[in-house]
Amino acid sequence: MKLTQFFCLAIIAVLSTTRAQANNVDDKLISVIETSKPKIIALSPHIVEMLFDIGAGEQIIASTEYANYPLAAKKIPRIGSSMRIQLERVIELQPDLIIAWKSGNPSDDLARIKQLGFNVVYSQPDSFNDVAKELRLFGKLTGHSKQAEQVATKFLADLADIKKKYGNEKPLTGFYEVWSRPLTTIAKGSWPQQFLDICSINNPFETAETGYPQVNIEKVLQANIDVIIQPLSKKQAGVDGYNWQQWPILPAVKHQQIIILDADIAHRMTTRSLHALTDLCQQADKSRTYYQQNTDNKVSKN
Amino acid sequence: MIRALKGKNTWVFSALIVFTILTVIVSITYGPATITRADIFQCVMYECASPMHDMVIWQIRIPRVLVGLVAGMGLACAGAILQNVTRNPLADPYLFGIISGAGLGATIATFTLGDQQSLALPLAAFLGALFSVVIVFGIATLLRNMNHLLLTGVAVSFMLGSISHFILYLGDPFATNRVIFWLMGSLARVEMFHFYLIGAMVLLTLLTIFALHRQIDALLLGDESAASLGVNIDKLRLILLALCAAVTATIVAYCGGIGFVGLMIPHIVRQLVGVTTMPLIIGSALVGGCFLVWVDVAARSAFSNVEIPIGIITSAIGSIFFLAIMYRTRKTG
Repeated sequence: MKLTQFFCLAIIAVLSTTRAQANNVDDKLISVIETSKPKIIALSPHIVEMLFDIGAGEQIIASTEYANYPLAAKKIPRIGSSMRIQLERVIELQPDLIIAWKSGNPSDDLARIKQLGFNVVYSQPDSFNDVAKELRLFGKLTGHSKQAEQVATKFLADLADIKKKYGNEKPLTGFYEVWSRPLTTIAKGSWPQQFLDICSINNPFETAETGYPQVNIEKVLQANIDVIIQPLSKKQAGVDGYNWQQWPILPAVKHQQIIILDADIAHRMTTRSLHALTDLCQQADKSRTYYQQNTDNKVSKN
Repeated sequence: MIRALKGKNTWVFSALIVFTILTVIVSITYGPATITRADIFQCVMYECASPMHDMVIWQIRIPRVLVGLVAGMGLACAGAILQNVTRNPLADPYLFGIISGAGLGATIATFTLGDQQSLALPLAAFLGALFSVVIVFGIATLLRNMNHLLLTGVAVSFMLGSISHFILYLGDPFATNRVIFWLMGSLARVEMFHFYLIGAMVLLTLLTIFALHRQIDALLLGDESAASLGVNIDKLRLILLALCAAVTATIVAYCGGIGFVGLMIPHIVRQLVGVTTMPLIIGSALVGGCFLVWVDVAARSAFSNVEIPIGIITSAIGSIFFLAIMYRTRKTG
């Protein structure tokens, strides 16, 4: 499989629409974990990042590929990828707790790990509120409740500020490009849809059947798009983005209102996603001002 | 049976049996967990030094090696039987559409069963594989030409594949990933129960071949000659094809898609022991079993952090092998 296709799968995997069944961890598990600072295997980059956020980073004894933030996470030993977890290594490391990504890790491996008697907790953040909930949950499980509470409270307060600031702006029509080949966008229930909702950007494909529909360019051309949002991973920049310049008929292209987001931040369900949210809302605001001035100029000329 | 293995093949089979035993023993020493050979020896012969060693050796590594052995045996035998029964050197158990059928079953199970899929997925894959075989047989029977069996298999394979792709396209990307990775094949999830199940199917296949090998040899002479020797050709073909389908479907259900073993191994074995059914099947079983065990060793040890799906390796080796066969045919033909 080509590396780019693998990244496509990985990014799409990050953008799950699966409903959360993750947070119903009962208190029994917390009592089962005998040590106050349990050794943890964190099976996804977003889990690693959240654990570092709440001060439990040093308790992580293993993780999977692509857990690259913060810098210290790069030193954590790897025991597999989103495709397969090395069961022998899990047994060898004898973790007190395994935090798995419900829909992102192979379910057969997780079933086997549970069958072998390990404590498994699932993570499945589908929204910003889920991120806060999971920060608190991980705090309880790792003995860092206090710091987790602080991080979660600040996260929700920052979110509320952004919502307040940008939530009632004049709506723009935007196209969110998840992937260029084939052209894929987002719809209701997907992780990025909440970015558009908060930044007052209408998504013409919001009511599509699936969370990440593939769309025909003809439909996009008809939709009178004001802004195009192109989240690019640092590894993909300039290579895999859709070439919008061939469609100057689109207002967004005609007026060069193309917003580039950092996909590595926007699509990872952690506190850092608010940076991408702020970035998007600010750039959308600039577009709004641009269109406002353009319209005013036209009116004044007439 | 003993007579079939005597003569010039005695040395070949003796070597193969020794190699198979060595393969099983040596392959247990490879894996991502750091356990010394002395510890493994102690664990297998006496008592494990730690519960961790016990778990890794007895619950992960030994089931994996044993399932690899019987799955390789099953796929190679099924390929050898099909090639002899259809007199087509390119016949392969997957050409019945088994992998597409299993993929469709796995797809439907993944999208409909939610949390229960670790139990239900193999069953759904097995039913999907059998479904494809029934369709292929049904159509081939309607066409009244068993020679069209493989072509029908290709057509049905594409048909079921397109249904799977349509469901995957409409569904949750995560479930899509799961099915795609499942189709790449792996022995990572196997348990001892799977060894007993697949082992029983392989044993049944071998026993049936022991009973019917003379009739299969007669088929190699052509349908007319076999009929004149008193062989009920249609019945024999049906029994053998159903057997191949069942053993392959069982392997696919628990190990995913492992391509090209059934095509490649009988070709190698034919060079060693000839085309006669009995030595061909036993040789294919031994070589196929060893091949898959070593491929799995590569899959779990090639990279320290990541495991490679086994089907990727078998298909890579198989496709090169396939091209080599064609090149050789061109040179000599």
